[in-house]
Amino acid sequence: MPAGKKPEHAVYIYGIVPSDVETTLDARGVGSPPAKVRTVARGDIAALVSLVDTKKPLGRPEDLTAHEALLDQTAAEAPVLPVRFGAVMTDEEAVVEELLSAHYEEFVTALEELEGKAEFVVRGRYELDAVLREMLAADEEVVRLRDAIRDKPEDATRNERMALGERIANAIAARREVDTQTVVQALTDVGGTVNVREPTHDEDAAHVACLIDLSAQHDLESAVDKIAREWVDRVNVRLLGPLAPYDFVVKTEV
Amino acid sequence: MTTAVQPAGGGGGVERPSASGLADVIDTILDKGLVLDAYVRVSLVGIELLTIDARVVIASVDTYLRFAEAVNRLEISNTEQKGLPDLLDDVTSGGAKSKTKGVLDAAGDKLKEFLNEDSSDSRERVRRGRDG
Repeated sequence: MPAGKKPEHAVYIYGIVPSDVETTLDARGVGSPPAKVRTVARGDIAALVSLVDTKKPLGRPEDLTAHEALLDQTAAEAPVLPVRFGAVMTDEEAVVEELLSAHYEEFVTALEELEGKAEFVVRGRYELDAVLREMLAADEEVVRLRDAIRDKPEDATRNERMALGERIANAIAARREVDTQTVVQALTDVGGTVNVREPTHDEDAAHVACLIDLSAQHDLESAVDKIAREWVDRVNVRLLGPLAPYDFVVKTEV
Repeated sequence: MTTAVQPAGGGGGVERPSASGLADVIDTILDKGLVLDAYVRVSLVGIELLTIDARVVIASVDTYLRFAEAVNRLEISNTEQKGLPDLLDDVTSGGAKSKTKGVLDAAGDKLKEFLNEDSSDSRERVRRGRDG
């Protein structure tokens, strides 16, 4: 790459797969219009890549979903090491030399470990009204503060509202810990390796990633469905997957 | 307080979306997965990313005030129902609940709306040559 001058196109990287993975004609990636996705191979491994225009910013909703959709659809068929959104290299030669060749054994080993496995994410979201009613029934201080703000303007009751809101937030956090543990136990019982995610919403009841053999997918679905039925009207439960193992790939020595 | 009766084998089970919504995608691919900087140094190309703005971060103060208002709304709906027949009580309660939920969920759902047209696209985009 000539110093000082940025080339117009570069290579966007989605993930690393065994080299027997082929992209189909309708595989589309990031960019507008969506770029065609291809593989760049070196021995037994390959990178899923597409050309990207270096002058256009990336990160539109379509770019984000294209990145994940490609990786998740790959994960349903073959092991894949997902790369975080936004990784771009100068050209395909650099991908082969600097990425695939330089870390060949490491990637081969990681892909072998992932053979037959995929990630699933369990996400629980509290039905806020139901949880608030539980708190009103269980905590006299919540009742007292509620009475203090009732029918009064927000400006005049700001301190009470802050105290009430904080008490509720803390109570939700305590419930989240218990409910997350329930999910973790259920996923572990069906043979999954678990990684608890940070909550990303105030009303998250559980946010847990799980790496599991695809052969156990049905057991996993049954286990999560059982929890969802036990929590009906209290927590809304969703199960995402199979996904690429985003929560289970790390670079060990940096 | 109402008791929901679930139809046998009906509602209440786990939701299985066919593809991740945008909010889920943001939770997943922006801060998880391999960081290429740890592997490659020379050939990385800096490209402008728009994604910072897409993250929803809710400050604690806003959260507290929102929770407090949610409790306040609960109380209002209960007070107004006093003395009404049970049947009407249920209907009013359901209406008030939906209204509160709508307000509270609005922020989170706004992101998901962007991508509804894409979430139905579950066509296979890769296949594997092994054993074939």
